[in-house]
Amino acid sequence: MAYNKKVHMLRRLERKLLLRVAAYLFIGTGVLFLEHPDSGRELFTAVVIITCIYFALNQFWNYVHFAGDPYMLSLIFVLCSTSLILLYRLNPIYAARQFLWFIVGLTALAVSSKINYRKLADYKYLYAAGGALLLLLPVFFGAERGGAKSWLQIGSITIQTSEFVKILLVLFLASYLSQKSTELVREKQSFKGFKLPSLEEWGPLLMMLGISLIFLVFQKDLGATLIFYGTFLAMLYISTAKLSYIIMGSLLFLIGGSATYFIFDHVKMRVETWINPLQYAETAGYQVIQSLLAFGYGGLTGAGLGEGFPHFIPAVHTDFIFAAAAEELGLAGALALLMVYILLIYLGFKIAARARDNFSKLLAAGFTSLMALQIFIIIGGTTKLLPLTGVTLPFLSYGGSSLVSNCIIVGLLMNISSTRI
Amino acid sequence: MDKTIRRLCRFFIVIFTVLALYLGYVNLYLGPSLATSPYNRRLAAIEEKIPRGTIYDRNGEILAETKSQKRIYPLGEDAVHVVGFLSRRYGRTGLERVYDQYLLGISRENELQSFINKALGRVQKGHDVVVTLDAALQKKAAEMLGNRKGAVVALDPRTGEILVLASSPSFNPESLEENVSVENTRYDLLLKDEDSPLVNRATQGAYPPGSTFKLVTGGGMLTWNPSTSYRSIDCKGEITVEGFTLPDIAVHGRTDFDRAIALSCNTFFARGGLELGPDKLYKAAEAFGVTKNPWEGKTQEVPCRAGTLTPPEKMTKAQIVSTAIGQGELLVSPLHMALVAAAVANDGKIMKPHLLDRVQTQDEGRIITKYTPQVWLEPLGQTAARKIKRAMQEAVENGTAVRAAIPGITVAGKTGSAQNPSGDPHAWFVGFAPVEEPKIAVAVIIENGGAGGRAAAPIAREIMRMALKFGQ
Repeated sequence: MAYNKKVHMLRRLERKLLLRVAAYLFIGTGVLFLEHPDSGRELFTAVVIITCIYFALNQFWNYVHFAGDPYMLSLIFVLCSTSLILLYRLNPIYAARQFLWFIVGLTALAVSSKINYRKLADYKYLYAAGGALLLLLPVFFGAERGGAKSWLQIGSITIQTSEFVKILLVLFLASYLSQKSTELVREKQSFKGFKLPSLEEWGPLLMMLGISLIFLVFQKDLGATLIFYGTFLAMLYISTAKLSYIIMGSLLFLIGGSATYFIFDHVKMRVETWINPLQYAETAGYQVIQSLLAFGYGGLTGAGLGEGFPHFIPAVHTDFIFAAAAEELGLAGALALLMVYILLIYLGFKIAARARDNFSKLLAAGFTSLMALQIFIIIGGTTKLLPLTGVTLPFLSYGGSSLVSNCIIVGLLMNISSTRI
Repeated sequence: MDKTIRRLCRFFIVIFTVLALYLGYVNLYLGPSLATSPYNRRLAAIEEKIPRGTIYDRNGEILAETKSQKRIYPLGEDAVHVVGFLSRRYGRTGLERVYDQYLLGISRENELQSFINKALGRVQKGHDVVVTLDAALQKKAAEMLGNRKGAVVALDPRTGEILVLASSPSFNPESLEENVSVENTRYDLLLKDEDSPLVNRATQGAYPPGSTFKLVTGGGMLTWNPSTSYRSIDCKGEITVEGFTLPDIAVHGRTDFDRAIALSCNTFFARGGLELGPDKLYKAAEAFGVTKNPWEGKTQEVPCRAGTLTPPEKMTKAQIVSTAIGQGELLVSPLHMALVAAAVANDGKIMKPHLLDRVQTQDEGRIITKYTPQVWLEPLGQTAARKIKRAMQEAVENGTAVRAAIPGITVAGKTGSAQNPSGDPHAWFVGFAPVEEPKIAVAVIIENGGAGGRAAAPIAREIMRMALKFGQ
């Protein structure tokens, strides 16, 4: 009985939070309505449907006595509402398509929140094989977009396979590391007082590095490589608590990365554009320059929804959606969104810390690191803090693959959080 | 494992905090610092949303207006050097450039208003700019210059208001981006044109002033050697210094100040220049503003070239006599010579020349800013100014400038025929009217036009007649 009461409390808190976010969504839609008075009916119908789906999910969890984290869903709701409003402002067609993907995504979230995820620990080699397959498919059958060859076309839908590979990667690493971490911690050799693990322990590390770099070379997907490798290092650190691994790993990656800088022109171009975008302002640096101008135009409080010029940035609805947000919502809006992301990351790690077993901990921390890295890399890229790499911003960017895979991640995180009681 | 998770969490919170701080830097510093970059299409996009203000002349005639997204210039090539043009490709010039912020209504004075407009969702509107130019006089000046190369400047000596700034050859401010051949747009051809039609000769021209400069030399002589006003010399038709012989146009015989101005006697002013010496001669030029840019350190309403002459420490005796009669290395713009005439007309005071009269809102005509006339220089005392004034009146009545005379109005003037390396002398005339209470001062130059009295004086006469008849 106490458990049921606890569940009801959690879900009631969730409902309260969702209600506030629903108000936020209605206000945003109101602004859109003022600018598109003719589409009032479709706008508000969509908003009502979205809100109903969230509340239905809440009721479903209440019904099945799901004790997952009560904050996460409302954070996702904030991000998704912002995404839909921004996409509608950019191009109503994007918003309409993304709306359908939201339904798919939330269904995926509902399913992944209730499956028995511990069973997932048993299929690690299936993940490795599946991941490799998904990575390799686009190389042979894929479509190239924006210099990266990581899309797979099935009928009228294009799927960005790397968005799903990342889930398999974390599943694989979590299951592998939860079984092997003790071996990796043991030290067998020491070299001039510096303790080194043996070659067989280095094996997986070097293999990961190799795979990442091959991935980088064949798919030209710099962003995905960085995220995969970073997630790998983060999970390695969590399971072994050895900073030396991370330093070694980073150094190796730097060496490998510098090698690709000299060998491959597209990597070299990315870095040079990052260092001096104005020099390539009309070619490779155009996007970043336009993005920085958008940020600058936003200033503190923003131009106001519909008052900026986000269309000057190519790919503004996908990789550069944050620039559009900063232009029209200002520094205030951008920081608010960043705050939501920080909360999400904090919650993710909290779930990891409170999880019962090592597999769950690794899984939760891995997913959270993955998301954090992706957010950091793309926001850093659009603001010239880092070299630009084309990855989507979770829950904000337009794109079905990204949305569905992130929904699965959040569903699994909530799933893990529900088992701690 | 919990410890490492906490550490990793802290690591991410730290890098996200760095990201947040960096975002502040990008939004508030880096981004805005790039705002003026040519790659910022926002400025143009914002401007296209704002209805640009109209530029009016002093009588309410339109000099530039926007009609159905197109900028129209009713005066066309007659005023393009002052009014300027607006081109997406070639930027903006003239008043269109200088008062751009007012015309777009985004000036500093107006920040609060534009914020309120934005908040209320009102359309931001540009302001109207009213300038001191007189469209009718400007048209007349351009018409009289015709195909000849040259410039006309007219201003009100009492206030410094510029009434006419005409430069020839000119060009049409519209459709500059039009392709006239495979490689060249109309603007490209203008750039390549050897007659430099893009240059505003009225303010950027560098001409030897010839005898019109005798007003400056005379001013210096009256200021530093007061006996000049009653002394006379014996003109023998030439003067020789250190082996250099300066010829005169005629043997003028006994010549006093008035006669020297009226008949443009070289000998009188060559001697006067020698008596002044290089320092004072240079100082006289400085006092009249010849070596200065009237807009120095202020909003440059028109690009202006300050006059140049041999520095006093390098001036030989031969150069002194040449400079004293407006030759040698001396080069000035027509505007500068108009200001010399204005100094004489306005009892020795030069008012700061200006084009802006006021900026007002489009609808209610509420005044945003208004220009207040101010004294720029005071090269002459009242007595000296009156002395020169009388001598200039004599020049029009009985001297070289008779072609500037207007029945019923007293006119003062000084002609010049400036020797130059490009051919026939440049024809100059500077003057003002009416002598009793001058309302307009004029400078006219016709490149290689020959004698000033014949080519330049009639243009000045028509401008003055028209200005005074229509009553200012």
